[in-house]
Amino acid sequence: MPLPEYIKKDYKRTRTMKGSWYLTSYKYKFNLSRIKEYLKGLKNGILLGLKCRSCNTVSFPPRLICGRCLVKPDQWVRLPETASIATGSANYDEEDKKREHPFPVIAVRQDGADTALIHNISDDVDFNSIYIGMPLKVVWAKERNGLYLDIDHYEPIEDPAIELNKKEGSVD
Amino acid sequence: MDKVAIVGFYQVKPGLDLMMSPYEMLFEATRGALDHAGLKRDDLSTVIGCNNDYYDGKTISNCFKVEAGGAYMKDESKVEMDGAHAVMYGLMRILSGNHKLAMVYGISAPSCFPYESVRILETDPTFDRPINLLNGYTAGGMQMRAYLNAFGLSEEDIAKVAVYNLKNAAKNPLAIPEAQKTNITVDEVLNSEMLSAPLKKLMYPILCDGVTALILAPERQARKITDKPVWITGVGHFNDTYYLGDRDLSSCSSMEKAAEKAYKIAGINNPKSEINVAELFGHTACEDLILAEAAGLADKGKGLSLIDTGKLNPSGGTMAGYTPAANGLTRIVEAVKQIRGEAEGHQISGANKAIASGQVGFCAQNNIVYVLEGGE
Repeated sequence: MPLPEYIKKDYKRTRTMKGSWYLTSYKYKFNLSRIKEYLKGLKNGILLGLKCRSCNTVSFPPRLICGRCLVKPDQWVRLPETASIATGSANYDEEDKKREHPFPVIAVRQDGADTALIHNISDDVDFNSIYIGMPLKVVWAKERNGLYLDIDHYEPIEDPAIELNKKEGSVD
Repeated sequence: MDKVAIVGFYQVKPGLDLMMSPYEMLFEATRGALDHAGLKRDDLSTVIGCNNDYYDGKTISNCFKVEAGGAYMKDESKVEMDGAHAVMYGLMRILSGNHKLAMVYGISAPSCFPYESVRILETDPTFDRPINLLNGYTAGGMQMRAYLNAFGLSEEDIAKVAVYNLKNAAKNPLAIPEAQKTNITVDEVLNSEMLSAPLKKLMYPILCDGVTALILAPERQARKITDKPVWITGVGHFNDTYYLGDRDLSSCSSMEKAAEKAYKIAGINNPKSEINVAELFGHTACEDLILAEAAGLADKGKGLSLIDTGKLNPSGGTMAGYTPAANGLTRIVEAVKQIRGEAEGHQISGANKAIASGQVGFCAQNNIVYVLEGGE
């Protein structure tokens, strides 16, 4: 049904007001001392997850509060450098259209952890080749500063067992 | 009304800029409330939060508070008004019979967001914002002038209320240190910085980070959980018109109606003599008086007499620390402490019937009042 004439006329008369949204004045607080061990570990090339003593859930990166038990987990556990894909998708940004294939976005579950994190995978990986459970390995940033992005990206590996044995120094 | 009690509570000590994230503050409050009541998280059946997207700088601000609020895999919901309104939501859920124990919390951290800017976003974009003069301060100033003029009072009278509040805050261990002024004088208040004439800086509360949480339980559970349940025996909630110009700012009609309704439900005929303690959420020292008069604790224009009795805001009210979204909850918790006889330093002896209020909007547009009672 077409709009009656008087509504059309009123619509034309409607003005909009300029608003201002003071986004830059927002701050987001986080006390880094709560994850000091994790950050120190990253700097030294060690991966630490946080384990809830009540339900044994290991979070990586560490979560300050275990929602299930409503306690602050406090047990740091060392995790291997191997991981696997929990799920994945691909990014179809405007910039990415120039690329050969869309850029994969992956949720990575570090081996030994129960939670996953969103991270990068090697640039040359075709997103069609990724699958859930695909084994990965941490690739460290060239310079580690004790920050979240000290893990530069993850790269696919053949078999996590081989990687682990390499690390131990044994011959495969 | 079926009986619902407040069985546990916890208030994080507020501060101008707390050295922890809001996430951790909330955890401290919810964990504290559960421990205070001697309950486990599994005992809760619903969680109602009061927080604000504009305050948090996050949309759907409650989704970030699930773990810390104790709402993991619970029937959680949010109120974006005042903490006292969240209590109403929790109360209704329990009275519906669908829920047993309800956790209610209110949280904000003004050290992280521009509170007065957010208040400007509360104004009408067509009529108020082009003039760009209406904000929290000017609204308080206009209200104060209207009140003084209507009853022939002076600025000194309001300064007396501010002094009273700040001295009370000094006795309240959970007030922020900046508000705890034992030796403050009326002259000091009158000589403090002018915010919006005639409103002075010391008549306006100090913003601070804070969280308050409490647990509601229906009668049967409440009696098992605690020996000192505090019952919600009446509640009233009314909304006035949005535009300041459409209201008589020297009084507060929505508070009058809300209090009247709450008293009716609670069976209170003479609030002046029956109510021992009133913890009211006023934005300014002047608004405290307006709300107290509207609640029937004193005659119109005679609110000042309440500061001699000491039953108005023994904790210092919002002047002890203004935590947006948690203010009303803090008022309720303070009233509960009075009834339980646990208010250290600012206890009113023999307090058994109290009212607590929450509000939102400029010049207390919307008010909610609770009648709280101890005993059986």
